[in-house]
Amino acid sequence: MKAIYGLYSDPDSAQHAVESLRHAGVADDAITVMASQPYEEYEFSHRYKQTWLFWIAAGGGVLGLLAGLTVAYITETFWPLVTGGMPIVSWWPNIIIMFELTMLGAILATVVSLLVMTELPTIRSKIYDPGISEGKILVAVENPPDSEIPALERTFKASGIAEVKSV
Amino acid sequence: MNEQKINDDLLRPLRRTSVWFFIMVAFLGTIILVGFGSWIYQMWNGLAVAGIRYPIFWAFYITNFVFWIGISHAGTLISAILRLVNATWRRPVTRCAEVITVFALMIGALFPIIHLGRPWLFFWLMPYPSERQIWPNLRSPLAWDFFAISTYLTGSTLFLFLPIIPDFALMRDQMTGWRRRIYGALALGWQGTTKQWHRLEAAMQIMAIAIVPVAISVHTIVSFDFSMSPVPMWHSTVFGPYFVAGAIFSGIAGLILAMAVLRKVLHLEEYLHPLHFQNLGKLLLLMSLLWGYFTFVERLTTWYGNSPAEMAVFWETQTGSYAPLFWTMVFCNFVIPFPLLAIRRLRTITGTVIASSTIVVGMWIERFLIVVPSLARKNLPYTWASYRPQPVEIMITIATFAAMTLLYTLFAKAVPIISIWELKVGGHRQPVLTPEQEEEHRELWRTRP
Amino acid sequence: MAVDLDRCTGCEACVTACRTENNVRIAGPEQSARGRAIAWIRVERYYEGEFPDVRVKFRPVMCQQCDAAPCEPVCPTFASHHTDEGLNAQVYNRCIGTRYCANACPYNVRFFNFGNPVWDRPLELSLNPDVSLREVGVVEKCTFCVQRIHAGKEQAKAENRELKDGEIQPACVQSCPTSALVFGDLNDPESAVSRLSRSSRGTKLLDDLGTLPKVTYLKRYE
Repeated sequence: MKAIYGLYSDPDSAQHAVESLRHAGVADDAITVMASQPYEEYEFSHRYKQTWLFWIAAGGGVLGLLAGLTVAYITETFWPLVTGGMPIVSWWPNIIIMFELTMLGAILATVVSLLVMTELPTIRSKIYDPGISEGKILVAVENPPDSEIPALERTFKASGIAEVKSV
Repeated sequence: MNEQKINDDLLRPLRRTSVWFFIMVAFLGTIILVGFGSWIYQMWNGLAVAGIRYPIFWAFYITNFVFWIGISHAGTLISAILRLVNATWRRPVTRCAEVITVFALMIGALFPIIHLGRPWLFFWLMPYPSERQIWPNLRSPLAWDFFAISTYLTGSTLFLFLPIIPDFALMRDQMTGWRRRIYGALALGWQGTTKQWHRLEAAMQIMAIAIVPVAISVHTIVSFDFSMSPVPMWHSTVFGPYFVAGAIFSGIAGLILAMAVLRKVLHLEEYLHPLHFQNLGKLLLLMSLLWGYFTFVERLTTWYGNSPAEMAVFWETQTGSYAPLFWTMVFCNFVIPFPLLAIRRLRTITGTVIASSTIVVGMWIERFLIVVPSLARKNLPYTWASYRPQPVEIMITIATFAAMTLLYTLFAKAVPIISIWELKVGGHRQPVLTPEQEEEHRELWRTRP
Repeated sequence: MAVDLDRCTGCEACVTACRTENNVRIAGPEQSARGRAIAWIRVERYYEGEFPDVRVKFRPVMCQQCDAAPCEPVCPTFASHHTDEGLNAQVYNRCIGTRYCANACPYNVRFFNFGNPVWDRPLELSLNPDVSLREVGVVEKCTFCVQRIHAGKEQAKAENRELKDGEIQPACVQSCPTSALVFGDLNDPESAVSRLSRSSRGTKLLDDLGTLPKVTYLKRYE
């Protein structure tokens, strides 16, 4: 994993760095920004805001609903025992089971998709710098072609930080 | 307040352990061991050692069950609903609340097992394919309890754990040695890229939307344990909302108590402000009024209905042998908290803590008064009886309070009890973007390859 | 079943017979005082008036085998369910002792085993081999002596004939000296119990609760 990155101490300078990288011709999806908090109000943070996650959660809910229907119908008809004069497959209690399993389906679908989308837990090595935990913002270009590294270093330095690191 | 100070303050409890911690753990651990021993004693000798009897077959254990599931509604309300309405003061409070939910649920879910006649067969409540293909009876409210509580426990554990991941990453970086390895594993390799932050926040939003109906359904289903049987004063249509309101009521009270203790013990005065207690105090006042309203409505309808079986139970709690408990409950839930929470000058941290303490006691009594008097005065007067708790039940009840405290203490020792990244986000200046600027930003990332 | 309250003298022979027939465990005086005694059929006593004009009313109460039994839907493990014959069955093996059924029963005819059954010698010799012993933590109740019902049916089948009315008698019915308890087939309109159920003196216990009990109580003549 090769990357060249700089650590910035506040979001404004990180924004400035991202813009100067863009002016230098780096494609947007090659720029990675990492921070210890989400900086929703800054433009560098708006990438990846669109997500399918809500639809996936709804899909998980539908699967849960079907699971609830199946569980209720199958278990009630396997041993059709009369209780209290109620019908063997009755809607009222089944609705409760279906509701719970719908919500469980939505919740589990959300969590599993989250882990998949964010690639957690990671197996392959990724770029990271402990400076992020001290509050710095990391702006990186991942996997740059070798020929462009000196130019990128210049761009990074021009945006006004002390050191540029590469890994 | 700068970031390093926040990190230092909130990670200090994890780094430094005073001797009081060990004393607390030893003390609480002893109580829990005695409670556990009481349970083993009860399993060995049968429920004859408990105070339950014909016809009062449910008493302390079911009271505790409903009580603890009720306490677990604190986290949902604060975290999920406040998150959904964008209330920024929730930020330091969310994790305290979510922790209460998870542990109170775990403790509450133990009680259906403790009160069983044959607890080693509790797994028959779970729907699993057995050899004879017999499944639980899905018409029974106890089967619904199983589904509801498992869903809620899964949901709230995930709701708690997901936002801790960035804090685990922080701790991985700032700590050394064996702590670094453990937190590193728990951080799952979190980096903090914009994509990860967006997905995490989207997931939290979805979970918040999902967990609120689940929480309401859980305590409604617990109320169905009572309202689905023809016992006088159990068979009431108002039980669903009554229980949910009571749960949120006792949950907020529990949360205020937990926050006040944490503030004192962990020196979090700069993070948990009187404003938080005031806001929670206002919510508590609202719930106190709501609880009083439901109690009044239920009793008025019963009194007007004048059904002989129900009136027997009614008078027993108003003027009979359960009257002292009943009036104590009204005093604790309404009379004392009302002035403390309604008058702004009294709505201080101390005021809300006093109100919360009385409310926790009052709500426990309320659960007891729902369960026992109705069973003591059922339809046929020849079978009326009275209940007296035995040491086993009292010991197990005390042990669960100790267990809650211990679990909370251990959690606060292992994980920062205030969500560090959420707190820092709350400190950002919030430039307001016009819709055109928002659209421009979105376009930027979409049109470029 | 029909219970003629005019004939009941409160002698409790039914209670004794039931406990012997069905191996009901003995609680002992101390446990009984704490409410652990089990009596599948009990005779309730209600006193009216002041001394010396006291009148006592007796009412034997056993499981009403309700058609819309509130104890059945609430059992999470199907231990309490309705059979094809119309009896409310209690399956001891399936009971995990939640006691929800016992709470839901408005007649309070369900009992919980607070301890394992113990019989001092030589009482264990009187145990009925046709009835299983219940272990601690299980709920039990009157079954209308289902073992006798099955035995009677098998006898009739072996002899290739129909059951006669009054041939099967639960222990309580058999032992009642005044024939206050009558048992039979409610599906047969000519049986004694059906005729008594249609009597103008007939009432059902707590029938406003909608449990549809099968036991008809015949009022006393005043």
